Amino acid sequence: MKTIFTSRYPLHAFIAGLLAIGSASAFAQEDRASFPKFERENYVYKVEQGKWTGPKLSDGQPDVQGQWSNTIGNHNNLVNPQGGGNRNNDKPRAPSRVVDPEDGQVPFQAWARELQKDYAKHLLDPTKPEYIEPLARCAPAGPSKSFMWHGYEIRQYPGYVVFLFDSGSRIIHLDKKPHLPENIKLWNGDSRGHWEGNTLIVDVTNNNSKSRFGRNGEFASENAQVAEKFIFDNNRERFTYRATYTDPSVYTRPWTLEIPNRRVEKFAEDGWNNQLGVAKHNGKELLLEPYEQICTENNGGFGGGAVKKTADNTSPKTTLTP
Amino acid sequence: MRFLKARPLSSSSLLLITSLLISLTANAADKIPKLNGHPDLSGIWQTTSAADYDLEPHSLRADAPPSAGIVEGGVIPYLPKALAQKKKNFENRLMDDPRLKGWTLGVPRGIYYPEPFQIFQRDRDITVFHQFGHSVRTIHTNNTQHPEDPNDWWFGDSRGHWEKDTLVVDVKHFNDGTWLDRAGNFHSDALHVVERWKLLDANTIEYKATIEDEKVFSRPWNISVILHRHREPNFQLIEDYRYTLEYDKYYPYPAESAPAKSSSTAAN
Repeated sequence: MKTIFTSRYPLHAFIAGLLAIGSASAFAQEDRASFPKFERENYVYKVEQGKWTGPKLSDGQPDVQGQWSNTIGNHNNLVNPQGGGNRNNDKPRAPSRVVDPEDGQVPFQAWARELQKDYAKHLLDPTKPEYIEPLARCAPAGPSKSFMWHGYEIRQYPGYVVFLFDSGSRIIHLDKKPHLPENIKLWNGDSRGHWEGNTLIVDVTNNNSKSRFGRNGEFASENAQVAEKFIFDNNRERFTYRATYTDPSVYTRPWTLEIPNRRVEKFAEDGWNNQLGVAKHNGKELLLEPYEQICTENNGGFGGGAVKKTADNTSPKTTLTP
Repeated sequence: MRFLKARPLSSSSLLLITSLLISLTANAADKIPKLNGHPDLSGIWQTTSAADYDLEPHSLRADAPPSAGIVEGGVIPYLPKALAQKKKNFENRLMDDPRLKGWTLGVPRGIYYPEPFQIFQRDRDITVFHQFGHSVRTIHTNNTQHPEDPNDWWFGDSRGHWEKDTLVVDVKHFNDGTWLDRAGNFHSDALHVVERWKLLDANTIEYKATIEDEKVFSRPWNISVILHRHREPNFQLIEDYRYTLEYDKYYPYPAESAPAKSSSTAAN
């Protein structure tokens, strides 16, 4: 429910949203009250590449539609998923999302590492505009961070897989069309995919790489090539997201991150991992549906309050705290 | 001058014309793609109209090409107070149009805004995916109803059903953050839109909408616009998150921080 973060309708909109859910049919509401809470896990459930034996769509794609969420943390910290943002020294409770190299760190060139550390130091004290996290300004989170943020939805159509994130959205083309011209740079890149058994393999080019991997500031440059694999369990409850970043202008070698994901429809709505509301209808069946997720207004709460609105409260401008 | 004289058509001519008409209609109907028994609206669509500049008839002006408008009857029936607000909006349109901030265009403006949008269709819902803002609207077609006490949404809440071959969509629960066009035509959070989507042939959609808002208009009014399918080879939506333009120069890192010749510091 994106409205809880929008600045024009802050708290009262959230409360109205809760009421909206509460006003659904009593049967559905009761039924859903018994749903377990979505708990973060401190282990990484791995799915291996292989055959697809689950249901298929009419065009032959494995049917993996629905609402999903990452399971081990959030976007605060890439390499220590259950540590806080900006606090690299928290004792790790879950393994680093960086699975290659083995030390769990992004293999930055020295100058890039310094820059990342500088960002991490200033996340809560953004004295320059570049210290403000782009996501705090409603920018799309980019190919990988989108999967560490709120829950998200996968919809599938002949020739397409569509991801609807809390901030931004992606269309994966399965139609073998050529990539866009190289000089077009995009927050979420340009994606071409195909299925190999249980795995959706996606080639992401045209990255503007302006987003970061976490609030500790790990980043890529616009030269980044991203090779993604979405490896789905045949029971359709889990999948492993794996992305390999190749960018010789920033890293000393290609590196790979991994994010474990699970389906969330059977969990209680929590406004984060599961943002599905109960649909109103005449039948007794429990139908869940996502609410509008739009973040175009620039919200002021994040970025340490460094993003402010002008006096007329209609035209968001970036200003720095004195 | 016999040939100028009006003559009744012979019954054989009538038959020919009738059968021609029937076969033309049948051909058009045959060509309309179907999905699960309903017309399939899937594809990338865009208006060629100048509707977004100004829904009402207008002469050429510096910020808009001339156009007869798309409002049935020509004029939007504003309540007096709202008309004053519209005039104010018009005066300040080059600054105040929410589209300039990259805000989601809303309904129906997103449909006739001059950027493509893609429709993805399933039995349970129809996804309208706009290039502008890459914003996504879901039209539920699974017999569900509007929530009773909802939020105000940018796109409102859309519930659709098929009436023969026309998709009829009821949209309400809007916020008041969007305009209807660049000329300052606007609405309140009481906006209620009923859309009618109909494929005229495989590559053309007739889009009609009835617009109602008791806080702003004296009566419901109608618009109509034609949407064309993009058929260029390899045409695709390209993300347009224009609200990020203001600050994207700050990311991902200040260019001056990178080594002048980054390749020289890359791994061997």
